[in-house]
Amino acid sequence: MNGTFQVANNVGFMAQQAALQNRVKVGVRGWQNATKQDLINFVSRKTRIAICDSYVEGELVVGYVNSRQDASSLLNWNGVRFAGNALRFEIIAEGNGMSNISGIPGTSNTIQLLKSFLFRRYNVQTRMLDLGNLKNDPELMSNGLFSSTSTQSKMFPALMKLASRESQLVVESVNLSNNSLRDVNGISSLAQTFPRLKNLCLANNQISRFRSLEVWKGKFKELRELLMANNPVVTDPMYKTEILRLFPKLVVLDSILLRDEAKLQSVYSIPTKIQQFFFETNELGQSSIDFVSNFLNLWDSDRAQLMGLYTPQSQFSVSVDSSVPSSSVPNADQNPSLSFYLSLSRNLTKISSEKTKLMRLATGQEAIDRLFRSLPKTKHLLQEQPLNYSVEAWSYPQVQGFIISLHGFFDEIEKPELDANKAVSSTAGRSRRFNHSHSNTTSKLGKKSFDRTWIIVPNQGHVVIASDLLTVRPYADGSWSKPTDTLPTSTLQAMPGQPASETPAPTLTPSVASGVPTSQIQLPPEIQAKMTPLQLDILNRLHNQTKLNAEYTYMLAEQSGWNFDVAIKGFQNSVQNIPQGAFL
Amino acid sequence: MSSQSQVLENFVKRLLASLDETNPQELAKVLQLVNPTSCKIIVNSTPFAQPGAFLELWQSSVVQTQHVITGMDYHVIPGTGTLICSMSGKVRFDESGRDKTGMDAVVPGAAGNTGTTGAGPSAKPRPLWGPYFGVSLQLVLDDRVLANDFNAVMSSLNYTMVYAPDDSLMDL
Repeated sequence: MNGTFQVANNVGFMAQQAALQNRVKVGVRGWQNATKQDLINFVSRKTRIAICDSYVEGELVVGYVNSRQDASSLLNWNGVRFAGNALRFEIIAEGNGMSNISGIPGTSNTIQLLKSFLFRRYNVQTRMLDLGNLKNDPELMSNGLFSSTSTQSKMFPALMKLASRESQLVVESVNLSNNSLRDVNGISSLAQTFPRLKNLCLANNQISRFRSLEVWKGKFKELRELLMANNPVVTDPMYKTEILRLFPKLVVLDSILLRDEAKLQSVYSIPTKIQQFFFETNELGQSSIDFVSNFLNLWDSDRAQLMGLYTPQSQFSVSVDSSVPSSSVPNADQNPSLSFYLSLSRNLTKISSEKTKLMRLATGQEAIDRLFRSLPKTKHLLQEQPLNYSVEAWSYPQVQGFIISLHGFFDEIEKPELDANKAVSSTAGRSRRFNHSHSNTTSKLGKKSFDRTWIIVPNQGHVVIASDLLTVRPYADGSWSKPTDTLPTSTLQAMPGQPASETPAPTLTPSVASGVPTSQIQLPPEIQAKMTPLQLDILNRLHNQTKLNAEYTYMLAEQSGWNFDVAIKGFQNSVQNIPQGAFL
Repeated sequence: MSSQSQVLENFVKRLLASLDETNPQELAKVLQLVNPTSCKIIVNSTPFAQPGAFLELWQSSVVQTQHVITGMDYHVIPGTGTLICSMSGKVRFDESGRDKTGMDAVVPGAAGNTGTTGAGPSAKPRPLWGPYFGVSLQLVLDDRVLANDFNAVMSSLNYTMVYAPDDSLMDL
């Protein structure tokens, strides 16, 4: 009988401590002039470490701290004065698992018992965990797990803790009928353990007030069916209305259809299911991914090498969106440090001065290069974590090119080569007022999310970036990268045909390298300003191939309707008739 | 006198405000902004052949929204008569369970009272705004938009929800 009782106590003990597998048993000496409680309070106040479940053992106070780390930092407090004496802390036993943390026999035994009980009550086919009528379960009864009300109330959280650790328990339905529940306080942890529960049965209990269900408001967002029959609460005139309010996606209550499921789905879903990629054509898909991976490789390793992709008309600017995402966004950075970017930001909703708007737009290689060097050095993880990036690419007929839009994140690994704040302060006196707030000590490196949009003009293995718009914002997990329950990330990454994870085909690498034109055609600025990047590209290539001077190159291009092939043919046909002065 | 970037911001605001409308006539005003011969629309990586098809879906299958612009930048592409505008912002959804017409999914009579359904325009229920989602938006526009000409200037729109709160009832 004594043994049974011991096991029953263990349930309660375990319920509180189920998560605390790493508890460490510690002892404190030298506390003799005060009560045990005074000592515990003092330690918690002084060291911010809680010693729980303490008891006196001879001249020692023995108790538990939450982790090995807590225990070792406690040791650093050796010698601290308390009630006229120096305290000595010591580690008595390091816990790893439940069985050796307490010296109370049978704890691990209880876990085993509850575990086997869980699996016995779980049905793989129906994905149902049947926790109905627990107090009449012969196995639980014979082990005395329901010998008192206090163990009963602790039993459920313990079961839930265990269940949440067992990944092979995929639970869609839970039956909790016939458990004499007066409220759901004792079982409220159900919402943490199975937040995506679809069916719940609470029939044949004593639940009489809505108030007790209020703890589940906003939880169980997938709950489809609820059974509450034979609870006093069902006779309340507000019963249905209140239940509808508490569970916004509930369809069936006590076997009665309350909501139209199709309508419900259409209300709570966005018809365009978010996807990681969109490419207008297949070819565009491959070349976009090649472009993005090659570009980011060089962006991370050597930005100067990218200069060949920009022309005197190319534009680049950075815009900082400093709005902090809601804390319920997975891994959202609630305290972002954006100071490296703020003085460069061309976020036009925040800037009023026309001069600043102009200054923060980099046009041409020199200005773009300077801006590139003013941004922190980065590492993009396109290869390692392809699921964290999303790409759209579509055509842009007006430039005979296309747009690539990339969303994702990068790690900042080093401070920028150029200090943007210094550069600004030398040019204008008014920026001096920012000096103290922009001190470098506040700029820390971290993870940022970004959106980057390139306008690309391709031409026979040659690419020009007409425009490059970068938005930097606080880090948050991408909405498209939500892990699904059924497909663990590892399988996704191993899946063939996952475009971004493929080693990049080097189709664009040579063009990036050879992107630096051998000699730039010199055009009067007013003519140059009127031309599209594509036209400029044609001019440059004609210029290099024909060795014609700028004026004749332009004439040739114009006469052939800006078609490179037609122009070359026309040139070859009439090369004899072209005056010598037309050549360089 | 408003600057060109303010004009552009006004354009984006008007576009998003129309998307936030529940009245189909107001929503249809988006069509006036769209280039009628060709406008590429991509929403969450889903392309729409016709702007009308997108608006119809937005009207019938998306609950009331509220957009906020938090960042904007643009480049005029020389020689093309067009510009590209990249905008970031956030959006939240009416999570009250009612669609744009105020209808919810509750089976009539099931709740014991019909008061929750179709109360009529006189007692239009307030939206119950959920948490914000992040939005990244790219637009290709004719550069005459900068001269306050909003008529049929938009030739592409790429709308992507970039982050999502996990306490929203909306399924992305």
